[in-house]
Amino acid sequence: MMKRKIRFNLNFINTYRCFFFLAIILFCGLFTKKFFTAFNIRAVTGNTSLVMWLGMGFTTCMIAGHMDLTAMHMSTMGALLCLGLHSQSGLPWALAILVATLSGVAIGLINGTLATKFEIPSFIVTLGMQFVLKGLMYIYTGGAELSIGRDYAFNELLNSAVGPLPFSLYFIITTVAIFLVWIFLRFTRTGRNIYMVGGNVETAWLAGIKSRSVTTLAFVISSTGCALGGALNGIYSGAASITMGEKGISPLMIALTATIIGGTSLSGGKGSVIWTWVSLIAIGFLKSLFKKTEQQVLVIAAILIVCIVYETLAQYRRSKVVGTRPNLHNEHMREIGKA
Amino acid sequence: MKKILGILLVMAVLLCNVALASNLDDSKAMFDEAVATLMTTDNHPMLAPGVTFDVPEAVGTYEELEKLEDTNPDKWHYYEYLDWDTSADATFPESPADGAKGKHVICIVHGAHAWTTCYSEAFQAACEAVGMTCDIYDPNWDQSTQDGYIDQAINEQPDAIVLIPLSADHAAQQFKKITDAGIPAFCSNTLPEASAMNFIRAYTGPNDWYQMRVLANQLGEDLGGKGGVAYITHNVGGSPYYARCFGPMSELGSKYPEIEHLDIQSPGFEASAVKQVVSDWITKYGDKLNAIVLADDSDQAIGAAEACKAAGRDDIIIVAAGISKQGAELIQSGDLSACSYQSCQGDAGLAVRTVAEFFNGEDIARVSFIGTDIINAENVESFLPCQW
Repeated sequence: MMKRKIRFNLNFINTYRCFFFLAIILFCGLFTKKFFTAFNIRAVTGNTSLVMWLGMGFTTCMIAGHMDLTAMHMSTMGALLCLGLHSQSGLPWALAILVATLSGVAIGLINGTLATKFEIPSFIVTLGMQFVLKGLMYIYTGGAELSIGRDYAFNELLNSAVGPLPFSLYFIITTVAIFLVWIFLRFTRTGRNIYMVGGNVETAWLAGIKSRSVTTLAFVISSTGCALGGALNGIYSGAASITMGEKGISPLMIALTATIIGGTSLSGGKGSVIWTWVSLIAIGFLKSLFKKTEQQVLVIAAILIVCIVYETLAQYRRSKVVGTRPNLHNEHMREIGKA
Repeated sequence: MKKILGILLVMAVLLCNVALASNLDDSKAMFDEAVATLMTTDNHPMLAPGVTFDVPEAVGTYEELEKLEDTNPDKWHYYEYLDWDTSADATFPESPADGAKGKHVICIVHGAHAWTTCYSEAFQAACEAVGMTCDIYDPNWDQSTQDGYIDQAINEQPDAIVLIPLSADHAAQQFKKITDAGIPAFCSNTLPEASAMNFIRAYTGPNDWYQMRVLANQLGEDLGGKGGVAYITHNVGGSPYYARCFGPMSELGSKYPEIEHLDIQSPGFEASAVKQVVSDWITKYGDKLNAIVLADDSDQAIGAAEACKAAGRDDIIIVAAGISKQGAELIQSGDLSACSYQSCQGDAGLAVRTVAEFFNGEDIARVSFIGTDIINAENVESFLPCQW
C-alpha cells in the first residue's frame, strides 16, 4: 500500500486552515483565565449555535454556486413565528417549531424558483427577499420584541448540559443536524449533484442532472435550516426581535466568514458544512477571548481578509498555470495531492 | 494536643472575624469619604442617594389598559412603574456583609456611545472610590453579544454583575441566568419589564417617565395650555421610546386637554433625518405646529432646530430629554427651550452606591432613581461643563 506523504507546506495549511485556526484559538485559551471551564464551553458553543445553522445554509447554497442572503432574516422570522405562535396564540412548542420550519421550506422554494426558473441572480433574489421577510415580520409583531414569557421549561432544557458533556442540548441538536446535512451532501447522489451543479452547471446538465431542482433544493435546505435554527434559538435565548443581528457583528457576516475560512469556494462546487462548523466553533471561542466587541470584529476581519487574499492569489496562480501550461498544472495538483 | 488545636482554631476564627470587621469598617469609611468627595464633571455629587417612588394602584389589567387612549396616563401604568409580583421573586444571593472593599464587579453596558463612555468612566471611578474593582463589557448594541457577555461574566464568577439590558423584554431571561448562577444581579439605567424584577436584586437609573412629565408640564405652561405638539421618538420598542413620547403626551393630555397631538415619528438619531421630518411637519401643519418634543437633545435637537430655522419658525418651542453638550449649546443659543437633567455619571454612581451598600450589609431599595431637574436658559450655567 502506498503511503501518502503529508507535506506541511502552505497549501496543506491552507487546505486545513479551519482546524489550524481552531487549534490556535484553543492554544491561546490555555493562557486565558477560566477558558476551559465546562460553563464557558457550554456557553460558547450554545451561543454560536445560531450562526452554525446560518453557516450550514450559507455553505450549502455556496456549494451550489449561489448566495443566500436571507439566512439571517429567515432565522429571525423562524424565531418570531415560533415565539409568537406559542406565547400569543397558545400553540404547543412542537407545533410552533413545525410551522416556523415550514415557513423556511416555503421561502426556500420561492428563492430557488426565482433564482432558477426566472434566472434572476441569487444575490438579487435573496437581497430582495430580506426586505419581504422584514416587512412580514413588522406586520406580524408590530415592531415589538417577542419573548417566551414565564414559560422557562423548554428554554432551560435547551440550555441544560447533556449528561456529563460540557455542551447544551441546543448545540447537540445543531451539531446532529449539520452532520446529517453533511452526510446528505457527501454520500447521496442528490447531495453530490449539488456539488456538481455548483462546480460547472453545463457539465452537470450534460450529465443529465436537473440543475434547477438541485439548486432549488439547496435553497430549501438553507432556508429550512435557518428557520428551524432560529426557532430553537428564540427559545434558547428567551426572546427575539426584528432587529436581531443588525448591530454589532452580524451573524450573517460571521456565517460568511466561517464559510470562507472553512474552504468553501466562492465560485461553488467545493466546500463542507463540517468545516464551516469547525470554523464557527473557532470563531465562537475567539470571541470569548476578547471582552470588547471592536477587538472581536478586528481579529475576525483580519482573518477573513487573509483567507480571501490567499484564495484570490491561489485562484490567480491556478488560472495562470491552467491557461499557459495545462500539463504543469496537472503535475502541480498531483504534487499537492489534489489531483 | 487537642487543647492546642482547639485554641488555634478559636484564634483563627477570631482573626478572621477581626479581618472581616476591619474590612467592613474600612469599606464604610471609604464609602462615606467617596459620597462626600466624589463629584460629577458638572459639579454634582456622583454618589447621591437614590429617590424612591410609591407605585400607584393600576386601574385595570394590562390588556384592559391597552385599550385606553394614548393620552390617558392610566394606559401606561405597566410601562411606567415596575409593578411586579414580589411573591414570584427568586431566591437572591445574600449579602456577605463583609464590606465592598476588594469586591469585583462586572458591568455589562449596552453599546458604544458618548453616553456609554461617560457612564463607564464614572462607574470605574466610583468603584475605585469605594474600594471595588470592575471590568466593563461592551456588546456594541448587539443582543446576542450581550447574552454572550453575560455567560462570560458568569464564568468569571465576580461578586456582582451590573447590567444595562438592551431590551426590556429580554431582561427577565438575562437576569434569571445571573441570579440562577448565584451572583447578585443589578439592573442599571434601562427599565426592564416588570417581571424581570423577580430576578433583579435592585434597579437603579433615571425616572424617565417622571422627568418627561415634569418637562411636559413646563411645556404646557409655555404653550398657555393650547396648541399643537409633535413627537420625535427614541428607538421603537425600548423603554425610552414609551417614556419620552407617551410620558409627555399623556401628561399634556390629562393636564392640558386643549393641546392637540399632531404626529409621532421615529426617524432615528441622525440630524438630517430629523430635519426632514420636522420640515415635512412645518409644511403639513403650518401654524398648527407650536411645539416639538424630542427623545434626544443632541443630533435630534440639531436637526429639529435647523428645520425650524430654515423655515423661519423660531416660534416653535422645542424641548428634549437631555443633557448633552450639544443640548446645552442649543439651550444657550435659544434653539432649544428646555431639556430634562439626567445625570449620566450620577446614574453610574447610584449603581455603584447600591452595590457597595449591598456588600456593606445595608438595606437597599429594590428600585431607586437618580434625581432630575429642568434645564433652561436661566439655569443652564449651573449644569456646565456637560458630562458627555
